[in-house]
Amino acid sequence: MEILKCDGIRKVYGSGETCVTALDRIDLSVNKGEFVAIVGASGSGKSTLLHILGSVDQPTEGKVIVEGTDISTLNRTQSAIFRRRKVGLVYQFYNLIPTLTIRKNILMPLLLDKRKPNQEYFEQVVSTLGIADKLDFLPNQLSGGQQQRAAIARSLIYRPVLLLADEPTGNLDQKNSKEIMDMLKLSNRNLNQTILLITHDEKIALEADRIVTIEDGRIVSDHFHGSAEWHRGIL
Amino acid sequence: MWRDYSASFIKKNRVSSVSIMAAAFISALFLSLLCSLFFNFWNYEVERIILEEGDWQGRITGKVSEDDLSLLQNFANVEKVVVNEELSEEPEIVADVYFHNFRTIYQDMLLITEKLGLDADAASYHELLLSRYLIHDPQDKEPPLLMAFYLVILIIVSLSLILIIYNSFAVSMNARIHQFGIFSSIGATPGQICICLMQEAAVLCAVPILAGSIIGIGLSFGTIHVINLLAADASGRHEAVFRYHPLVFVAAILVSVLTVLISAWLPARKLSRLTPLEAIRNTGELRLKKKKQSRILSLLFGMEGELAGNALIAQKKALRTSRLSLTLSFLGFTVMLCFFTLSGISTNHTYFERYQDAWDVMVTVKDTGVENMNLLEEIRELQRVRSSVAYQKAEAVCSIPETDISDEVNALGGPGAVAGDFVTAGKGSCLVKAPVVIMDDAGFKEYCEQIGIVPEVSGTIVLNRIWDSINSNFRYKEYVPFIKEEQNTISLQNAGQGENPVEIPVLGFTREPPVLREEYANYALVQFIPLSVWKEIAGQIGNAEADTCIRVLGEDGIVLAELNALEADVVHVVSREYTVESENRIQEKVSDESMRKGSMLILGTFCALLALIGIANVFSNTLGFLRQRKREFAQYMSVGMTPGSMRKMFCIEALVIAGRPLLITLPLTVVFAGFMITASYLDPVEFLIKAPVVPIMIFILAVFGFVSLAYYIGGKRMLNCNLTDALRNDSAG
Repeated sequence: MEILKCDGIRKVYGSGETCVTALDRIDLSVNKGEFVAIVGASGSGKSTLLHILGSVDQPTEGKVIVEGTDISTLNRTQSAIFRRRKVGLVYQFYNLIPTLTIRKNILMPLLLDKRKPNQEYFEQVVSTLGIADKLDFLPNQLSGGQQQRAAIARSLIYRPVLLLADEPTGNLDQKNSKEIMDMLKLSNRNLNQTILLITHDEKIALEADRIVTIEDGRIVSDHFHGSAEWHRGIL
Repeated sequence: MWRDYSASFIKKNRVSSVSIMAAAFISALFLSLLCSLFFNFWNYEVERIILEEGDWQGRITGKVSEDDLSLLQNFANVEKVVVNEELSEEPEIVADVYFHNFRTIYQDMLLITEKLGLDADAASYHELLLSRYLIHDPQDKEPPLLMAFYLVILIIVSLSLILIIYNSFAVSMNARIHQFGIFSSIGATPGQICICLMQEAAVLCAVPILAGSIIGIGLSFGTIHVINLLAADASGRHEAVFRYHPLVFVAAILVSVLTVLISAWLPARKLSRLTPLEAIRNTGELRLKKKKQSRILSLLFGMEGELAGNALIAQKKALRTSRLSLTLSFLGFTVMLCFFTLSGISTNHTYFERYQDAWDVMVTVKDTGVENMNLLEEIRELQRVRSSVAYQKAEAVCSIPETDISDEVNALGGPGAVAGDFVTAGKGSCLVKAPVVIMDDAGFKEYCEQIGIVPEVSGTIVLNRIWDSINSNFRYKEYVPFIKEEQNTISLQNAGQGENPVEIPVLGFTREPPVLREEYANYALVQFIPLSVWKEIAGQIGNAEADTCIRVLGEDGIVLAELNALEADVVHVVSREYTVESENRIQEKVSDESMRKGSMLILGTFCALLALIGIANVFSNTLGFLRQRKREFAQYMSVGMTPGSMRKMFCIEALVIAGRPLLITLPLTVVFAGFMITASYLDPVEFLIKAPVVPIMIFILAVFGFVSLAYYIGGKRMLNCNLTDALRNDSAG
């Protein structure tokens, strides 16, 4: 079932001589439950794509359809509500609110919607991510890996349609990176969570079901796990 | 969740919260004081108008019968009708009309006159009183706008305060742009962010607004009390009574709340409108929009100077309000001090020094001519009285043949060149004002002795002088003789009719006026004549003023207590028969001094309050400015900047922040003082000796002190912060 469809997305920054095309006619389709890695060199446009998919930024041209809704036409408030309910965002630098406890940080998307959390699901998420005993701590009292788990928990708490992760292991050591990737894979398999992961690390990308490569704002390859290209090590 | 977030932020950022609370407190205090003073001034105005002109609202003048009056009384909106016996003259009646709702008075009065069959002109209105309630004649194109003026002042003050408090909120909110970016990225709507910030502002400001408003009322009470004390000696003034109305409190609170909410809403709206991407990318670092170099700072202080200069340029907008408030308050403060110093010097010159020996006690005898002054002997016999004279003034003119004009005046170009329109040229002569000072005979003889002529009471003594306006200024006047001193008589005429001249023998010409507290006209021939002569010519000359003055000189070296006693004795003697007003020289000087100090105190407090806002703003801004730059300083440290170099940067910035308003203000003050000195023809050296250097220095030191303190506190924290944490910047509370 197609859950995300990008149709000719362009993103241009600036104008005239300083005009930079960050994305150039991107077409992409993602089905429910897929784990897609988007790879590319620094400045290739992968983060811009993620921001547009998460409705954090708007495309200059083209459509982004998530579960039948064209998110490129949403206003600010609608975008915010979309992000809250349909998207989970995980950043390289965690982006937790430093003055709120880990519990409050995780529950934030629900609390913004004045909704009561499903206690069972909450406990399942925090125990799966291994932070059940850290809920009353402040972010700066946790290690980087623990903070990133909390950020993942926050992104999953609303059972989003899409989980968008921007270099989630970029700030972690090898052990923590592996653990975070295991968590993401676990949520993909157990919860059938659709995940789009941005990375420039080939090893990390290989953990995904599908690898989309971007260069200079264009998709240059799109391979599925087990395909002939995948096995030929086209990466 | 928002509550937890805000509570936690407030708890962990006490300095920024305190600065917001202080700004809210000061603005509420200021607005409450202003509202309360405004209400009291308004009340006082209404009371004064009612005391002087009565409390009637509308007035009907015309032939009004008893039936008409009852018809008038039964008019729906009419509260009562009172026949004004004092103004009524048969057959016309003047009826004062009071309304239940006098907002519709201009419509109702027209209906009333119509119903009574009178012309519209028969209706008149207490326009002054009505204007105090903002009720104006719809036909009047230029209604009295005093009330509107007060309201405009209130709005201007509110707007200035909004500008000032806005900055405190902006500093606190901008420090959290990154955090709000996170909120936004996980789905907080702009409305939710804005409401969160507004709620935070409301929580922080509720108590300060209440406290400020209450203290403002107290200050207003004190101000009224001080004004009453200072103006206690002002004659004819009715004492102001402090009044307050719950609605004023409600208005003050509303204006304060509105001011604070607008101040918070401006940055909150700006912040909530940032896209999550813009917000999340914001690391709180200062950025220069375009390349600019602080050449002077760079030249003077090297790399630290350039870095400090760039930081100040990047924060130009945020620092603008504090610079503005500080500059304005400092300018107001220094200009006020200079003005009062100059005005003090001027008053001394034109009044106290000039009349130092001219009087000790002055009694004005109301509605009485000098011929009735038969109490002078009794006054002269009072203890400590050295001399006394009674005099009355009258207006007259005299015609001077051109041939009699002095050589000195002719050398200056003639009377027209010296006196302009004050002298009317005729055929071969000119008409000159000849104010008459009628002195009691004994006093006149004393004057004769003073100028060295034989004391007699058969003619006039002419003050033969005219101000040489060409070669001297009004401050340091030079006089030349007006006429040749050849005539034996002078011919005075009635000032109004200019006919039936009266020839009076001239006893003498002089340039020395008698010892009286009088200012004589610059271009006139003043006549001092004894009462005996006046009695003969009063019929033709006329135009005598209603009141008579008695000037009493006390013994040499008399002190205030003795003079007060002497004044009481003189008043006791005169007031047995007449209505009098009295004053004494030393008491007047003391009162004037206290009035001047009082005005300075009130205006100075106003400026100090402004300065306090400015300084509080600089303080909070500087602290916020430093907090915001944690990462910037961490970056400097990471590339090897020493704590010493950082301290040097702090010092440079403090110097610029505190120094700039002073550098702008001081030349402006010098220009202003220079202008005032030139306009008032005062000696600059005299001003320099009395220049208000000490209070200005205190102000300057306070500004430098507070900015340095803010830098000391902020800098100390900065130097103690953890480099890794600061560079990561995410966990910064």
